[in-house]
Amino acid sequence: MSANETLVLALPKGRILDELEPVLAKADIQPEAAFHDSRSRQLRFATNHPGLDIIRVRSFDVATFVAFGAAHLGVAGNDVIMEFDYPELYAPVDLDIGHCRLAVAEPKALVKDDDPSRWSHIRVATKYPGITRRHFAARGVQAECIKLNGAMELAPKLGLCRRIVDLVSSGKTLAANDLVEVDHIADISSRLIVNRAAFKTRPREVGDWIERFREAGDAV
Amino acid sequence: MLPAGLRDVLPPDAAYEADTVERLIAVFSARGYERVKPPLLEFEEALLSGAGAALSQQTFRLMDPVSQRMLALRADMTTQVARIAGYRLAKVPRPLRLCYAGQVLRVKGSQLRAERQFAQVGAELIGTDAEAADAEAVSMAVEALQSVGLQRLSVDLNLPPLVGALAAELGLDPELTAELRQALDRKDAAAVETLAGAHAKLFLGLLQAAGPADEALARLERLALPADVAAGAGRLARVTVLLRAALPDLTLTVDPVEHRGFEYQTGVSFTIYARGVRGEIGRGGRYTTGDDGAEEPATGFTLFMDSVMRAMPPAPPGQRVYLPAGTPHDEARALRADGWVTLAGLESAADSAAEARRLGCAHLWQDGRVVELD
Repeated sequence: MSANETLVLALPKGRILDELEPVLAKADIQPEAAFHDSRSRQLRFATNHPGLDIIRVRSFDVATFVAFGAAHLGVAGNDVIMEFDYPELYAPVDLDIGHCRLAVAEPKALVKDDDPSRWSHIRVATKYPGITRRHFAARGVQAECIKLNGAMELAPKLGLCRRIVDLVSSGKTLAANDLVEVDHIADISSRLIVNRAAFKTRPREVGDWIERFREAGDAV
Repeated sequence: MLPAGLRDVLPPDAAYEADTVERLIAVFSARGYERVKPPLLEFEEALLSGAGAALSQQTFRLMDPVSQRMLALRADMTTQVARIAGYRLAKVPRPLRLCYAGQVLRVKGSQLRAERQFAQVGAELIGTDAEAADAEAVSMAVEALQSVGLQRLSVDLNLPPLVGALAAELGLDPELTAELRQALDRKDAAAVETLAGAHAKLFLGLLQAAGPADEALARLERLALPADVAAGAGRLARVTVLLRAALPDLTLTVDPVEHRGFEYQTGVSFTIYARGVRGEIGRGGRYTTGDDGAEEPATGFTLFMDSVMRAMPPAPPGQRVYLPAGTPHDEARALRADGWVTLAGLESAADSAAEARRLGCAHLWQDGRVVELD
């Protein structure tokens, strides 16, 4: 049972982790030293709270771990939350970090002749096939998605497809690859996510953590 | 291989589930809920009318070669029981108490329930709008689950019509209301804030009013809700008091904006969880049944047996005793009367103890007594 009793907080690897540091500090969560050691192979970390452990996984997996109740709390961008659209996830706190946007981009050369109102079918390379399909379906366009896990910008260049849907922060990567943003899908920021059953069955503990993150998010 | 979401249930699980269903039904029967048994298939338009419409996309259909009409395979039994109450049992005095158990089939499994076929066990209390009826539905469901061995249950009390009523009162258009409801369902605070605009404080207040029952109700009371909406919240608070009196040790939470899965509920509703078990054990709440002009207030609940079984302690091993071939019938009968499961040897075996072990018996009938094998 004891594995069941400790609350597990799932955090994404990568760049969000740096932005998250001050939030964790404000929420008074201090992971054990190995957490900050990027060479460590450890996956699960204790914290200064005996009832709270941290796991470090890929950002898409944060949502999956929390949705299935394997982790109780997590930090994920709303791009990930929207992509899976898991009914078991709550996103009660906007942490106001990890800001960027989800956008449609295409080669500069294509833009001037392109008339989106004539589209019935388009092919798009993306990490977000779910969001992309729904976004275009809402305007009556069938989007054939090619799932890529990175280097989306290469796809139009090498003729895989003409359009991509990807996260954009400064827009420099797009520009460097002769791509322009043609459509804005959503503003993205990181959220505290919570498993629904955990929120209902352990209302006090989980509620306390939500409150701490809410205050930390406001303060940062 | 079987189609996705369908599976064979093997020993000892099949027997354990059947036994659990009967024990749950026994609790309802002891409280005057009489069992009904609707058919698996009905005419599509009957099964999917009114409250049934919400499950239309989850319903398998097939053509009836006899009537040449479309039939639907039930995806839920509540609407069937409501139909029975409204037609066949229309003249039976109210309140009418009915219970049921049966298999349902759904087109798609959900994220947490991959099963497309599972058993539902439930009860309906029809023809009363009393607050005590709301409390009876919750407390009977919880007591039945506790009686079969489920522990650490937690009940989340909900008011599904609240958001819609509040949005209508504030004059929000239906499209915005739908988006707002979706954001509230996901407890997406950022989206709620953007969508609600001038009313953001009120809707965020509702969002934050989810939690342990007493704090949640106090927060709900402090919100500036329109009178009609506040009346619904007041009823929720009174039902909570009734429940506290019936089940003082139960973990109770309140979530006024929960709406998913409550498409046809019209008042106080609830979801049952067990700590450490993913997904819902059961849910229920107030609804209106019957045709126009003959509507009746009703409440009830459904327990999902796949989740119930996941939350159950492991099946107690049966006490199996091997009877070597030729054991007298009266000795075998006496053992069964004592609660033993007897496995009769059909041919004489050279080593009875080895044969008993091979057949999964921890005991052997030898020289007129039960011998425990090591």
